[in-house]
Amino acid sequence: MQVAVDGPWSPLLGRLSLAAIPYDNPILVTTFAIVVVLAAVIVGAAFYFGKVGYIWREWITTVDHKKIGVMYIILGLVMLFRGFMDGAMMRTQQLLADGPASPGYLGAQHGYLPPYHFDQIYTAHGTLMLFFAATPLVAGLGNIIIPLQIGARDMAFPYLNATSLWLTMAGAALCMISLFVGEFSNATWVGLMPFSEMPFNPGVGVDYWMWAFQLSSLGTTFNAINMIATIVKMRAPGMSWFRMPVYCWSSLTTNIIGLTIFPVVTVALTMLGIDRYFGTHFFTAGYGGNFMLYINLFWIWGHPEVYFLMLPAFGLFSEIVPTFSNKALFGYATMVAASFSIGGIGWVVWAHHFFTMGMGPQLNGYFSAATMIVGIPTGVKAFNWLFTMYRGRITFATPMLWAIIGLVLLLVGGLTGMMLSASVFDYTVHDSLFVVAHFHCMVLVIGSALFAAVTYWWPKVFGFKLDEVNGRLYYFTFVVASLLVFVPLFYLGFAGVTRRLDYIYNPDLKSLLWVSEGGIGVYFISLFFFLKMLYISLRDQIPAASDSWGTGRTLEWLTHTPVPFYNFAVTPQINSRDELAWRKANGVENVQPTQYVPIHLPNSTAVPFLIGALSAVFGFAITWRIWWLSIASLAAIVIIIIIRSFDKNEGYVLSAEEIARLESRPDLASIIAEQPKRSSLAHVEAI
Amino acid sequence: MKPPKQRRVSLLLKSLVSLPALLLSGCTMDDLRLFHPVGLVARAETHYIVLLVIAMSVIIVPTLVMLIVFPLRYHHSRNAKYTPDWHFSLGIELAAWGVPFVIVAYLAYLTIQGVYAVDPWGPGILVNAPGASQPPITVQVIATDWQWVFVYPDQGVATIDDLVVPAGRIVKLQMTSTGNMNGFYIPQVAPMVDVMPAMESKDAFELDQPASYIGFSTDFSGAGFSWMQFSTRVVPQADFDAWVKSTQASPNQLTYAAFQKIAQPTVNFGAKPAYFAAPDKGLFGEVIMAAMQGVVYPVPDSLTKKVSENPAQGAQTPASPQ
Repeated sequence: MQVAVDGPWSPLLGRLSLAAIPYDNPILVTTFAIVVVLAAVIVGAAFYFGKVGYIWREWITTVDHKKIGVMYIILGLVMLFRGFMDGAMMRTQQLLADGPASPGYLGAQHGYLPPYHFDQIYTAHGTLMLFFAATPLVAGLGNIIIPLQIGARDMAFPYLNATSLWLTMAGAALCMISLFVGEFSNATWVGLMPFSEMPFNPGVGVDYWMWAFQLSSLGTTFNAINMIATIVKMRAPGMSWFRMPVYCWSSLTTNIIGLTIFPVVTVALTMLGIDRYFGTHFFTAGYGGNFMLYINLFWIWGHPEVYFLMLPAFGLFSEIVPTFSNKALFGYATMVAASFSIGGIGWVVWAHHFFTMGMGPQLNGYFSAATMIVGIPTGVKAFNWLFTMYRGRITFATPMLWAIIGLVLLLVGGLTGMMLSASVFDYTVHDSLFVVAHFHCMVLVIGSALFAAVTYWWPKVFGFKLDEVNGRLYYFTFVVASLLVFVPLFYLGFAGVTRRLDYIYNPDLKSLLWVSEGGIGVYFISLFFFLKMLYISLRDQIPAASDSWGTGRTLEWLTHTPVPFYNFAVTPQINSRDELAWRKANGVENVQPTQYVPIHLPNSTAVPFLIGALSAVFGFAITWRIWWLSIASLAAIVIIIIIRSFDKNEGYVLSAEEIARLESRPDLASIIAEQPKRSSLAHVEAI
Repeated sequence: MKPPKQRRVSLLLKSLVSLPALLLSGCTMDDLRLFHPVGLVARAETHYIVLLVIAMSVIIVPTLVMLIVFPLRYHHSRNAKYTPDWHFSLGIELAAWGVPFVIVAYLAYLTIQGVYAVDPWGPGILVNAPGASQPPITVQVIATDWQWVFVYPDQGVATIDDLVVPAGRIVKLQMTSTGNMNGFYIPQVAPMVDVMPAMESKDAFELDQPASYIGFSTDFSGAGFSWMQFSTRVVPQADFDAWVKSTQASPNQLTYAAFQKIAQPTVNFGAKPAYFAAPDKGLFGEVIMAAMQGVVYPVPDSLTKKVSENPAQGAQTPASPQ
């Protein structure tokens, strides 16, 4: 039965009581007020403009890969903002709580956050940024771009695709709820063992973290299956393996990694769950438990996870650099080889995350050398991008600017990464702010690629470009802010400052901490320009051409802008690696089909949303040990899946006449346009 | 139209240029402790990383130059040579794979050599240390939540948060923890090594000159983690002997029963030291065995929430390491 828990427990509400609501914490109360106001504005606007039905029909129940991608990206951006606010709070705390004479505010002895709160904030920062900002952004872009680049109608499994989205949403919802009901984990985003076990973490924080992580990793596993199936089976006629754009290759590598690693972390978290709920001893220090097992399992997932996020970024650069260099990608074959090398080596380097654990020089030597090998294919990629620019015709559009700064960051992050991979040096900076600065450099590479990609493909999805002037201001302020925040962290690392400190004992480092804090201020300015960019672009909505940047090379730029919900009126025949560039060279880029054939499309379904919502309920219930509700929500999910399996709805057919009509008015077919009700196939047959 | 834009650019440039200046004004090289290693082990670590960075620069610097030159040189406004279909060159590809391969092979060779030199279980480099002829001194380190207990089995003394060692002798550390993982680290002196419950890890260093340093935990272990500093004092052998003698006479005895009290979760604000006579040679082993048998010192939620929240609790000045 359940492990004895701290504090009261009742059959009806589990561990939940009024004491779980942190109404005495002014920071959380303010946050709650802001969230409530924002939610009220959004929901109120939906009702006021009569858009509730539209949002339900066209978005929440959709299985369209582009809409799912857009929702992934919205989730990613919102969580990016929350993660950033966490980061800003952490930097401010370290600035204030520096030295034994530093003042305390809001009840904290030093700074304004007591350790209990600070530790939750950095745990949330890591968890949110990786699982609910970076991963959804990468998944969202993949969702939108991959089917378009390979000339597919949709993903291989549209219903599974929506389920992945809503499981990820459920995880994010759990993280948000933890802000206002109970607490989040304070055991870091990696889940330190045996610290995450009951004796040291008897609260609900670790459970929130564990279930949010678990749900999002389930979603990511499903998404990986879907992506692999899509890339392998759904390519347009003529698109042989080596005519696939490099982004598709890197996505394929990424998702092979995803499919092989996420089950590992699912198992590790399940074992932790059994420890915490049933009192077993998988990861405890005593009773024959082995917390090293968790650390190994976690990083067997965790290191490939880095490449799981990094390879799509490399793929995005490989699309953007050729477009804005107006030149074919240099070294296509070695690009593909390099992606697979990085993915392959990524599986066998995990122990470099714990060089200091005393593995002995043999193992440390092996893992050092193996990690360094990753530098070879990564270097090859960098050279190939450079030689793509060489003798090109470069334009500094915003996506290209992001790509170039991404490469600079990759060099800095690569250099520091190679330094860290040398375990002889790692003995001095492991767990230091140097490491923190290094991996932020790397995630900023991913960030640059994502911002580049969002700007680059935005017109394809919405039919108008993002405002270039504010886009550039956003870019420049963001770059300056990143420099200001993270360069001092490298210095602080060399000054011997380590991670996860809510209090820094050495007061001599104030100036560096101030510079870093200044960078946070500049990030706020860049956030302003980002919002201004969105506002001006949405206000003006200047229509973009189907080849929005004028030098597009791949298939997605062939179809209408904004892309119709059926992607391509006629499935394209692929003649070349850079299909659009080939068609331009042969003067056939504007040739329109003479006749249309009906298109078979899937119907919307509320099932994925219900599964996601019930998963969130399940996560909440089991976190608070409300057994009846956990069992009920789990049973409801199973019943819904069974009911769905008897559903004979096989989608609907878009008639040739309707395609012809929509082709002449692309705005009617855009993903934000409201679609009329179309009768489903099962219905048609019944008649 | 033009002036504000120019102003914006110049402002941007100014802030970019002033960045290193800002950093330098506030932070002198003296603060960057890792560039001032002391002792053979720490010096070897710095030596190897300098070599490695120089070797890496062979690739990084030219790449950075190309990354700056190519976008400017081949900007569309420059009308430089344009070869839209050129997408493969065997020579460049061979160089792109080959040069990094050679460099990485060299880096790996250096690293593996270095790992053996500084291996905390028995640093190869200490074989040639001036103090290698002397018998090493053993200190047993026990990390609790959230203090450091240093036990000297051969001297029969123990301390809290104060590591006292004689100059000119190799110091061998045996380390374990009561409940959580911690990291043992003395910047400039001793490599960072994890301290784990139910296991023994090791570390070693040797210093010739008397000096004092601050060590601390590097691996998060709970709410009191940020206060887990300890002082490290390297003293002349004679002073060390005198210190051992006076501490042996201490009325405080560190028995296992006394240790169990110390091991209860406690934040030692300012790392105030305490000293014990510790004639029990088996204490360290007992702590490891207890952890293996499931003994933990739980940290209740109420304690985690309270740590450092109450201003009355703090306000102590740190014990200055002398």
